[in-house]
Amino acid sequence: MNPDVVIVGAGPAGVSAALALAEAGAGVRVVDEQAAAGGQIYRALQRVARQRPDSLAWYGADYSRGLRLLQAFADAGIDYSGSTSVWDISHDAGHNSIGLLREERAEIVHPRHIVLATGAMERPTPFPGWTLPGVMTVGAAQTLFKESALVPQAPPVIAGGGPLVYLFARQLIHAGIKPALILDTGPARVPVSLWKHLLLALAADAGSLFKGLAWQREIARAGVRRITAIDSLRARGDGRLQCVEFAVGGKTETVDTDLLLVHDGVIPNVHLAMAAGCEHRWNPLQACWQPLLDAHGASSRPGIWIAGDNAAIDGADAAACSGSILGWHLARELGLADGSRYRERTRTQRLRLRRIAALRALLDRLYRPFAPFQLPPDDDTQVCRCEQVSAGEIRRIAALGCMGPNQGKAFTRCGMGPCMGRQCGNVVSALLAQHHGRDIGEIGHYRIRAPVKPLTVGQLADIGED
Amino acid sequence: MFKRLWQNAADGVEIRFEERVIRAQAGDTVAAALLAAGESGFRETVFDGQRRGPYCMIGNCFECRVEIDGRPNQQACLRRVHDGMRIRRQRGARASEIADES
Repeated sequence: MNPDVVIVGAGPAGVSAALALAEAGAGVRVVDEQAAAGGQIYRALQRVARQRPDSLAWYGADYSRGLRLLQAFADAGIDYSGSTSVWDISHDAGHNSIGLLREERAEIVHPRHIVLATGAMERPTPFPGWTLPGVMTVGAAQTLFKESALVPQAPPVIAGGGPLVYLFARQLIHAGIKPALILDTGPARVPVSLWKHLLLALAADAGSLFKGLAWQREIARAGVRRITAIDSLRARGDGRLQCVEFAVGGKTETVDTDLLLVHDGVIPNVHLAMAAGCEHRWNPLQACWQPLLDAHGASSRPGIWIAGDNAAIDGADAAACSGSILGWHLARELGLADGSRYRERTRTQRLRLRRIAALRALLDRLYRPFAPFQLPPDDDTQVCRCEQVSAGEIRRIAALGCMGPNQGKAFTRCGMGPCMGRQCGNVVSALLAQHHGRDIGEIGHYRIRAPVKPLTVGQLADIGED
Repeated sequence: MFKRLWQNAADGVEIRFEERVIRAQAGDTVAAALLAAGESGFRETVFDGQRRGPYCMIGNCFECRVEIDGRPNQQACLRRVHDGMRIRRQRGARASEIADES
């Protein structure tokens, strides 16, 4: 009933941590909000490989690594609960507890250790009209592609920057869909100021850099129109998206489309770690909150450990490495592995992480968050989608003396809707910080409280009845 | 809005959205099934009835909430379709399950 370790999330980090712990002989349970293991990157990969192996050609070669990882996970026979939400994590009087909800039934489990491997989420992109049906993230469209082989019926407009924009545009082109337009918020070329990072990344991992360049060339060869350095973006439509309006070089242009895919990089999905009371700090380079961790992935809360993109954005490959390293470290903590076994089983992962870090240092500087998304200049932009609170209202309460996002809730209900601030949190803090001339780190983030996923009073009352 | 690159006839599942009968695929999330059928407005906001649809598709944004088999506030991007599933738009706030005694 109470395993040694409960791992939250079955992406590359969670699966790799579970594999290490299971190999060492620990009792592990993996709980996952998705229906099958794989996380967002390897979502539905095993099912598609079974049903339509030929369609994997659209994905790209990197996904074979995921298939191997998921096969090893399935072969290891690890206790896996899919479609399971976590609504609470707490630590009282030396006991960890984690509240789970699966098929309408809630339960509370008390493991010795909890590993949070909740991965990344796309950075929210508030701009006028972003709440219209037909505006979604690039990652959302890629999820539909992976899971249900859905592709846009008519050529979509893609707006944003970063590797996922190129990866997905290329996947669409391979599947026979040519995007109408890419509004690229990234730089047209690597600026001279980043050449040092470019050289370091080339030395560490030239293969990944050339892969990214090859994607961009393929998109150009397919004849996709690409515009860089846009100043603003607006979605228009009556009840659903009908056209996209953007300004570049002082001129405004409008393009008709029923699908606008936006992307502004990814950030750690820290909601659960915050709910668990783990300390976080603001990372100004990656423009996101990160949990404070020691070298092994220990959070500020005893028994709560963090690995993967929710620790710091490094990508799937690094997540698998850090998951594995944490798994072996916990095996050591549980007395199931000694120091020499830990070092032997984690050597290649530790080397690989060092190479990945050099590439990440370049990507973090090259693809900065798009300023008009992070500090929406138009007062009419809804920043809180749930409670329909605009950027103008946040500026107004800042002028009234509201110093932080928690106080802002009392003024506006901002962040009090069903998403609990997952979408608006960082933007609200950024707007308040800008008004008061403070750091976002000083202004802080919403306090996150259980239940962090919808739970009915009935479900809560039924716990432990049998 | 979206089309399928491939589907398996053997995996067909019949669901209903409002009054409309939709053929979906086993393994689809409710959100994928509705988007594949051309539906984009999944709910109407509490304050002024704005139409909303899936934005993040990973359970974070809560914009895709619908009523499934009589249960409100279900995230369409996390629930899987099953044969005979009845889905309705979520209109405004969820209704209380407790009868008003006044």
